[in-house]
Parts: sequence; structure tokens; C-alpha cells
Amino acid sequence: MLKFLLLAFRNVFRNRRRTAMTLAMVGGGVAGLLLVGGFFAFMFQGLRESTIRNGLGHIQLFTAEHFQRDEVHVLDTGIRDWQHVATRVQTGKHVRGVAPRIEFYGMLSNGVKSSVFMGSAVQPDIERAMGFSPRITAGRDLDAQSSGEVEALVGVGVARSMSVKVGDGLTILAVTADGALNGIDVQIVGIVNTGFKDLDDRYLRITLPSAQRLLASDRVTNLVVGLDNTANTDAVAAELAPQLASPTQPLVEKKWIELAAYYKQVHTLFSGIFLFLGIIVFFMVLMASVNTLLMAMFERTREIGTMLAMGTPRRWIVALFMTEATVLGILGAAAGVIAGNLLGFALNASGLHLPPPPGTDVPMAFKVIILPTLATGVSLMVMLSLTLASILPAVRASRLQITEALAHV
Amino acid sequence: MHHSEALVEVDAVTRTFPLDHSHVTALDHTNLVVRSGEFLAIAGPSGSGKSTLLNLIGCIDRPTSGRIRIAGVDTGSLRADELTELRRSRIGFVFQTFNLIPVFTAAENVEFPLLIQGVPAAERRERVAEALAGVGLAARAHHRPDLMSGGERQRVAVARAIVHRPSLVLADEPTANLDTRNATQLIELMRGLNQRLGLTFIFSTHDQRLLEHTPRIVRLTDGQIVSDSHAEEDRHAEVSAARLS
Repeated sequence: MLKFLLLAFRNVFRNRRRTAMTLAMVGGGVAGLLLVGGFFAFMFQGLRESTIRNGLGHIQLFTAEHFQRDEVHVLDTGIRDWQHVATRVQTGKHVRGVAPRIEFYGMLSNGVKSSVFMGSAVQPDIERAMGFSPRITAGRDLDAQSSGEVEALVGVGVARSMSVKVGDGLTILAVTADGALNGIDVQIVGIVNTGFKDLDDRYLRITLPSAQRLLASDRVTNLVVGLDNTANTDAVAAELAPQLASPTQPLVEKKWIELAAYYKQVHTLFSGIFLFLGIIVFFMVLMASVNTLLMAMFERTREIGTMLAMGTPRRWIVALFMTEATVLGILGAAAGVIAGNLLGFALNASGLHLPPPPGTDVPMAFKVIILPTLATGVSLMVMLSLTLASILPAVRASRLQITEALAHV
Repeated sequence: MHHSEALVEVDAVTRTFPLDHSHVTALDHTNLVVRSGEFLAIAGPSGSGKSTLLNLIGCIDRPTSGRIRIAGVDTGSLRADELTELRRSRIGFVFQTFNLIPVFTAAENVEFPLLIQGVPAAERRERVAEALAGVGLAARAHHRPDLMSGGERQRVAVARAIVHRPSLVLADEPTANLDTRNATQLIELMRGLNQRLGLTFIFSTHDQRLLEHTPRIVRLTDGQIVSDSHAEEDRHAEVSAARLS
């Protein structure tokens, strides 16, 4: 077996120029896929973490009824004993903090113009402690201890459309838990840029007590759990699950991935693009390798005839060609992984930025994450491609007529 | 005369090849018996059917009609895998152009028939060393064919053909690509192996140097055996002719 592998390995290097061309092609395909895949992974990671840090958190707790009822009276299905639940969850492993929230919506007005808002009521000090600070472009964050006017943050789109700036006042209107319409005046203390234009056009944030006063309820819609690391989400969720089955008000948990609709859309779209690129590379390697291996077979026709004449089983000839292709695949994949890593490091060091993606107005850093799983997957893919490419030459070689093969010039 | 049992029996063998809309007859109702331990040359001009006959005896081609037996086994009744096994275990080949595997060293080339027979590594090493020593190339064991002369390459090919101790060695024009000195050495080597090990050699040639050392010569013309002479008969004929004169 060792001698057989040795023969396959030496055959690979018999025509060095052709082998170098094949390795360059396979390696180029692998390196290209690693760079594209690495960039997509960086993009997914950035989007994931920004989605989480923009306030989604790693896990959110809701009442079981929250997803079954209409959203007119948001706190009708809110969490009653939320302080107790938050304290209990806070003691869990990997939990950095638990932030109570009220997600609500209504109308805001500057006296001249009205607009719909999507509001979020928070405890600013807890949010800051969990790293959920909004990206403020003007003014400051909410102050939990403020005893004067009700403070509010608005998105850049809201500020532009309502023609307001830091220090100006707005009136917000919302439906209370009882179904009545209520309103409060707020003072804008900061302008926020979330990076998502559609969200910035509707963004409003006030403190939790202000929202509870507006909505006439002491409940919250959800508790946002922040973890030390996104990778611990599943483990913490599994640990939390049994604690949520309270007989008085059962809660349900949602992991960030279940709530991040935009992230899922982006992930699906770019995964599809990557799959398409992978298929192109797969067939490119396959077609080019079939040609290369057929040439190798024709060059060695007499040698194959000699081996068959000596009594070499035809399946050995098939195995020899397939082993040679696999060796080429392994070497090509290794070359591609090395080249991809080196190029990735160079690109990461270059500090390259891309124009803002659609829906955002922040330039995007161009970085490549080197993923061992991606490198393994792409390497296996090209090895499979080369092995498949070797089937036709291998079978043709094994079916050669010995006398004709020996007479081949 | 020969008293040993028949190793090769060619019985009314015809081999035709298609050519355009017709066919050409390479061998025409050929009969031949080769006994174990013989050193036999098949001579004749180009296109006389020498290589075709060797290919048929070597089981790398099948006759259009007729029958070939190797050690009593009718090769026409064997499946392809059984013919492969027969070649692997009982036949050694030497080719005009040496046909060594260029990426293997001399020792590895000689080892190949043992490799495909599944002989254990230790035994392979021993037999390869023995075969290479037998052809006088022990010192060149680790050289690749491209670093060896034509004569050396052909001796490696002979070592490869005998290393698995076959019953029969077939050599197609083995001296055609060699100069006189190397050709003579190769002839002596093959004859020595024939006499020392009792190996049966059948080779095609039109090399007079080789024929001079050959006890039995079968002459082919246009696919038919026109003469089958043994050295003893030749000598007897020469003596008779001398008496008559």
C-alpha cells in the first residue's frame, strides 16, 4: 500500500509544469472561496454582534401570551413580577445582566407635524452596563436619575423629519394597557444613528418609569438577557428553560437568532451567494482536472499497458489514478489554505473599507475571518471535485486494450 | 530431444484484425508446442506475426479461432480476471522498449510484480536483491531508469520478468534497442537464467546475434510457421550433409 501511494505521489510530480498549473488552479479556487467565505463570516459576525449590542441581547424572555395576542395593548400581556424574574436570571452562569424593556409604539408630534414611532423604554444604567449603548451622534444618553423633564432619544430620521434637535420638546401618544389614549411631553437629549435608515426614521427611546407612566402599567414587555459571549447562548438558554415554567405566569425564551429577522435574511442571502460561488469553483476544478488527468493518462498509455500485462488488476489502475487526483486535491487545498490565510492577513492589515451596505450609512470594514471549518469544508470540496474528475480517466485507463496500449507511441 | 511436459500449446490459432472494411490475418492456423525449460526464438521479418503470437501466448490478446493452453489450462475458457491472475503468477514480460516505470528505481521496478502478488515486504526485499544480483545490477538498485544505459534498463526488465519466478518469460524483440555489446550480454544473461533456473524463454527476434545462441528457432512468414528447427537437428543435418558429400 505504501509503495502504491509512493507511485501515485511520484506520478503527480512527473510533469511538474502541469502539476503546478493544476495546483495553482485548485489553490486559487480554495483561496478565493476562503477569502469570500471569510469576509462573509466577518460580515455575519459584525452584523450578529451589532444586532445583539444594538439592544436585541442574547436571549429575551416574554410571557407565553405575548405571541398569541394582538399588539394593541402591549402591556396587557406583559411580565408582572419582572423584578423577581430578573434577579433570578441574573444569578445564572455567563449572564452579564438582565434589562427590562417595554417595546411600544404610538404617535409623536412637534405641534405641527405627527409621525409614527417605534419606542423602546429602558433602564439606561443597566443597558450601559450590558454594553447596549445606542450610537449617539448628538447630545447624550438617557439619565436614569433625571428628575426634570422626561428624557428621550430619537433617531436621526425622526429628528430630520420632525425638524427637531437636542433640547427641543416632543409630545408622544400611546395606548395604555386599559386601552385609553395617553400622552406625555418629552425633551430630546440625544440623536441616535442605529446604522439602519428604516429604524432611524421611527426610533424613540425613553426611560422605563416614563413609559410605565405613559402606558399606565408596572409591567414590562420583555426581559433582555446579555451574556459574556454569544457562543454561550444555547447553553444558557438550555439552563434557563426549566426556570420559566411558572404556574402563575409562564414565560418563554427567544434566542437572538429567532428575533433577528434582518440578520437571518442577510445570512440566507449571502450563504446562497457563497454556495453559488462554491458550485462554480467545484465545476471549474472538475472540468479543468478531467482534462489534465486525461492528458496524464494518454501520456502513460504504454506504462499502463505494461502494468496490465504484468497482471495488475484493473481496479488497481482505477485506484492509482483516483489516488493521484486525491493527492493533487490535498496539495491544491493545502496551497489554497496557505495562500488564502496569507492574503487574508494582508487584507486585514490593509485597513480596507467598503462603501456602506444598503440600508445603512456606515462604511463597512473589509476583514477576513480565517475559519478552520470553512477551510476544511472547502478543502474537502476540491478533493471531492478532483476525485470525481479522475473517474473518467481512471476508468478509461483501466479499460485499455493491453496490446494497443503497448503499441502506443 | 525434449522429454519435459508441454508448457505452451498453440493449436490451430488464427488471429485476424479488422482493417477498413476488410481484415488482415496476422496468424493463420498456427500450431506450436513449447516444453518447459526451452529457450525458443520466434524469427521472421516485420509483419510476419511474431509479436501477435507472443501476445496470444502471453494472454494479453485472444485468438480469433483456435486454442492456447498454458500448463494445460485452456486460456480461452478463462475469464478476464483469471487471465490477469495467470499472467501475474506464471508469465514474465520483457519489452523491446524496456517499459520500466520511470518514477520507480530499479529495485522498485523489480519489486512491482511481487507487490501486485501481495508478497510480504521482507520477502520482496530479499527476492528483489536476489534478482538484481542475478542480472549484475545490485549496485544500481536505487537508480532510476533515466540514469541507466539501455543495456542496464533491459537487464532491470529481465530481473522484473523473473523476480516472481514465473514458468514462462516472453520477450518481444529484447535486443532491438541495444548495441552489440549490450545485446550479447543480454543474450548470455537470458540463456544463463534459462539453463541455471530452468526458466522457459520465448522471444521474438530477427537479430542474428540472438539466433546464434538459440537452440530452437521457429520461423514465421505471413502468419504461418515455415520452419521449426532444433539445434540438435541442425547439427544432425550438418553431419548428414557432410557424410553425403
